[in-house]
Amino acid sequence: MADTPYLLEARNLCQHFASGRGGKRLTVKAVDDVSFGVRPAEIFGLVGESGCGKTTTGRTIIRLYDPTSGTVTFDGREISGGMTRGLRRYLTDNIAMIFQDPIESLNPRMTVEEIVGEGLTIRGVKDKAEVRRRVVEMLGKVGLTNEHATRYPHEFSGGQRQRIGIARAIITHPKMIIADEPVSALDVSVQAQVINLLNDLKEEMGLTILFIAHNLSVVKYFSDRIGVMYYGHLVEIARGDDLYAKPLHPYTRALLSAIPEPNPLTEKTRRRIDYDPERDHKEDYFSGNPVMTEIEPEHFVYCTPSELELYRDQVRGKADA
Amino acid sequence: MLDPHNLPDEIRDLPDAGFELAQTGEIKDEVFHTKPIGFYRDALQRLRKSKASMVSFWIIVIIILLALIVPNITGYTYMEQDTSKKNLPPKIPGLESLGIADGSQILTNRRRDSLDNPDRFPEGSVIRIVREYELSGVPVVDVMVDYYTFVGVDDDVYHWMGTDYLGRDLCTRLFQGTRVSLLIAFFAVLIRIVIGVIYGAIAGYYGGKVDFAMIHFAEVMDGLPYVVVTILFMILLGAGMFSIILAMTVTGWIGTSRLIRAQFYRFKGREYVLAARTLGVTDRKLIFRHILPNTIGPLITKAMIEIPGAIFSEAFLAYIGLGIKPPNPSIGILLSNGQSVLLQYPYQTLFPAVLISVLMVAFNLFANGLRDALDPTRRGED
Amino acid sequence: MPKQQNDTTGNSAIANDIILKVADLRVSFRAYGGRVQAVRGISFDLKRGETVAIVGESGSGKSVSVKTVMGILPGNAIIESGEVRYGGMDLTKVSEEKFHEIRGNRIGLIFQDPLSALNPIMKIGKQITETLRLAKKMSGEEARAKAIELMAAVHIPDPQRRFNQYPFQFSGGMRQRIVIAIALAGDPEILICDEPTTALDVTVQSKILELINEIKRERHLSVIFITHDLGVVANMADRVNVMYAGKIVEAGTTEEIFFSPAHPYTWALLSSMPDLQTKERLQAIPGAPPNMIYPPAGDAFARRNPYALKIDMEKEPPYFRLSDTHYAATWLAHPKAPKVEMPAVLRARIDRMKRSGMLNG
Repeated sequence: MADTPYLLEARNLCQHFASGRGGKRLTVKAVDDVSFGVRPAEIFGLVGESGCGKTTTGRTIIRLYDPTSGTVTFDGREISGGMTRGLRRYLTDNIAMIFQDPIESLNPRMTVEEIVGEGLTIRGVKDKAEVRRRVVEMLGKVGLTNEHATRYPHEFSGGQRQRIGIARAIITHPKMIIADEPVSALDVSVQAQVINLLNDLKEEMGLTILFIAHNLSVVKYFSDRIGVMYYGHLVEIARGDDLYAKPLHPYTRALLSAIPEPNPLTEKTRRRIDYDPERDHKEDYFSGNPVMTEIEPEHFVYCTPSELELYRDQVRGKADA
Repeated sequence: MLDPHNLPDEIRDLPDAGFELAQTGEIKDEVFHTKPIGFYRDALQRLRKSKASMVSFWIIVIIILLALIVPNITGYTYMEQDTSKKNLPPKIPGLESLGIADGSQILTNRRRDSLDNPDRFPEGSVIRIVREYELSGVPVVDVMVDYYTFVGVDDDVYHWMGTDYLGRDLCTRLFQGTRVSLLIAFFAVLIRIVIGVIYGAIAGYYGGKVDFAMIHFAEVMDGLPYVVVTILFMILLGAGMFSIILAMTVTGWIGTSRLIRAQFYRFKGREYVLAARTLGVTDRKLIFRHILPNTIGPLITKAMIEIPGAIFSEAFLAYIGLGIKPPNPSIGILLSNGQSVLLQYPYQTLFPAVLISVLMVAFNLFANGLRDALDPTRRGED
Repeated sequence: MPKQQNDTTGNSAIANDIILKVADLRVSFRAYGGRVQAVRGISFDLKRGETVAIVGESGSGKSVSVKTVMGILPGNAIIESGEVRYGGMDLTKVSEEKFHEIRGNRIGLIFQDPLSALNPIMKIGKQITETLRLAKKMSGEEARAKAIELMAAVHIPDPQRRFNQYPFQFSGGMRQRIVIAIALAGDPEILICDEPTTALDVTVQSKILELINEIKRERHLSVIFITHDLGVVANMADRVNVMYAGKIVEAGTTEEIFFSPAHPYTWALLSSMPDLQTKERLQAIPGAPPNMIYPPAGDAFARRNPYALKIDMEKEPPYFRLSDTHYAATWLAHPKAPKVEMPAVLRARIDRMKRSGMLNG
């Protein structure tokens, strides 16, 4: 697994947004020097708090935004360069996206059939009966029936709408799906429906998924590997269990320590760890250039050379113990 | 609170049959029991429930029908002059016996003895004497006459709303004028909307530098004084319907373009628009299929509010002498003409004034109803 | 219905001192299309010094029930029946003027969205002192000193300087601290928290929860805590009421709810979300919450419940007592019901939780 080449790979991806003009010009580094790769049929979780740049990363990869710098390759082909008709086609054929808000992400004036079928019609499937047949097939996959096809989005519950959004994403059989917080706007009782559905579809269609979320429990459950983002930087990448067992970057530790677990025995005595970049890093973290470094197989940390030694020791210490 | 080990009889002795698992198979999503309702059907249903807008709607329809039909059935044309019957009061068959709209008019300050002169007061023209008094020793009267007989028009001649100073039938002219005013308003608003939508959509969708340049151009245009622009057009193109419509659209589209631009800014970042982009939907389709339909509600509402505004501007232009070419009537021309004889012949102002007021109120109320009905946040409400 | 909690008092008089009592409360809303029956007969009580959590998903009526307690229901709400006993009054019948006094001085409220709870164009300090001057009739200087003290109490660094700043200069977590400071200004004895951390990030959330726990201890507050997050419940609550479709379906101490849940909805809630150890397939709850204009007959959860009995579909289950503090509204507790065990996944998870609790404890 570890030596399988990446299907999607981002290298030093930056997305800076500028606002204001002249002297008041402000640049927000929403995504700054982010590098990671996703292997075929793998679920890669991108986790972080609001404003950390995880959503922007996903949107930049699928080219809702044009990257400021850095490259993204998919299946060996660069998809971050100048936008051409051919590249647009390649992108939309291979990568689809699932959005967060089940109300906002469906056009209120289109029927479910039109919404789900749009991917087909814009690819030139003219035959109405054929579109209909494939829409119904997709609806069946997400647990809806053909009688739902003529309905408008507002008639559905949140979980059902999210499943419609999933049907829309998979109808063109993309290789990869970027799922941007697909469950966080849903009620607790229906989140599991959507997670199970994504899991089933992944198995059935061999999907590769970039799963973006802020809920670390969900990300850990759903993902093979996890990347942790903080203020535009990807600070740590590891397999879920490794990340949980031996978090290295101080932010990852803080994040893990903050997750409330539904267990009153442990929860009432849980010790929270704070993250204070000034205190938790040495001077050179800010002045020097920290880079993404592989500490142990499949475990990367964003660190400076001096921190690298420290982390190596920690990993060795854990292994000994 | 019941103790499971010490239950009251009626609970303890519930039939056993109830205590079996009810659902053994897979639990599916519930099916819908209602019919699917499209957005516009839903809006229409809500519009129908608003009494004020339905009444307004029918008033508008009736006025449009009248404008289409009346000029063809009065038996007169809007430009037919007959100076022998100028300024006739209204006379409507059927109502005349009731004493209203019977073609009567009160003439004041007439010499008492002239009443007997058949050249001055033809046979049967005097209905009754309203007041008798003396002026400088001469007996004078105010007398109500059948004005039609008085000026020597045949008995079977009827002018429902009277005639103007050139003897033209005012009823024909009013509805012909309504036709013209509505046409001007409709086309002016239509052109404004077409230009405004295209301009606003491009500025809003592409944003950035394009938007910056376009919005500043619009600002400059908006600064041009309306009356000056209109006069320039009149000079360039001559008075007429076409130049009025053009004059009204020169800066009129800016409001619409602002509305559309704002709507585009609002909707282009919506997740469903992003979702369509990730599917590979083209810009053109995004604009027309995904974003523009959401602006239709505010757009129709704006158009409906602008129509009475346009009717009123036309009237205003006519009033200050920049109206369409005579003998063509418009509501504004009629008001302007009527105003000069307001005290002698108030009915010449009354009818167009009532019509333009009713029209404006009806359009405004209908626009309000439409705005509520097309508001997507109220979807699905009864 | 939770009368027995009165009856079984006696061992510890202070611990069982009931400060607020909600009895058979029913609230509905006039809406297009009918009457939304948001709360359908709930009863619970709050004892001095304890934290009671109300857990449920959106539309379960948890927020509406505390809004009733606070007298801040929107205009289209109707209190159909029931009462809220507090300090010898029935809060459902108290006048608006009286309520102003109660809200300022005796019951504090923390909302979900700190930004909308603060006035964006008023300085932070002024927003706190205003409450102090209204509720405590303090003079300007006194109020200022007290406000700075409160800001320090909710751990706002450099309160002297922050006093003169505006809400937009504060981060989400800091804003929520200000909201807490305002809630504390009147020196209340009850604090109602309506999803106070839902809009916040996890790391900020855990700090705010810590803060609420800390001020609760220091000021001997009684807390009603509304949330949909079971992790937060486990952290905060002494007792838990689980709400579904406008009713409390199960109530008990936090340990009882987490370790011996009895209602299938509680089972579903506990097993549907993964924790950090979960590997097995999630137990998804099928379907969607019911439309509360037409609440289903019988047990509202029955149609989504694989353990539903036939009687659940027709007859509303009464509350069955499972222990002195634990009761559930499910026919499964009836002696005639088939012996249905909780899902194996949940059983495994509870065992794991207990084990990790032993390790830590």
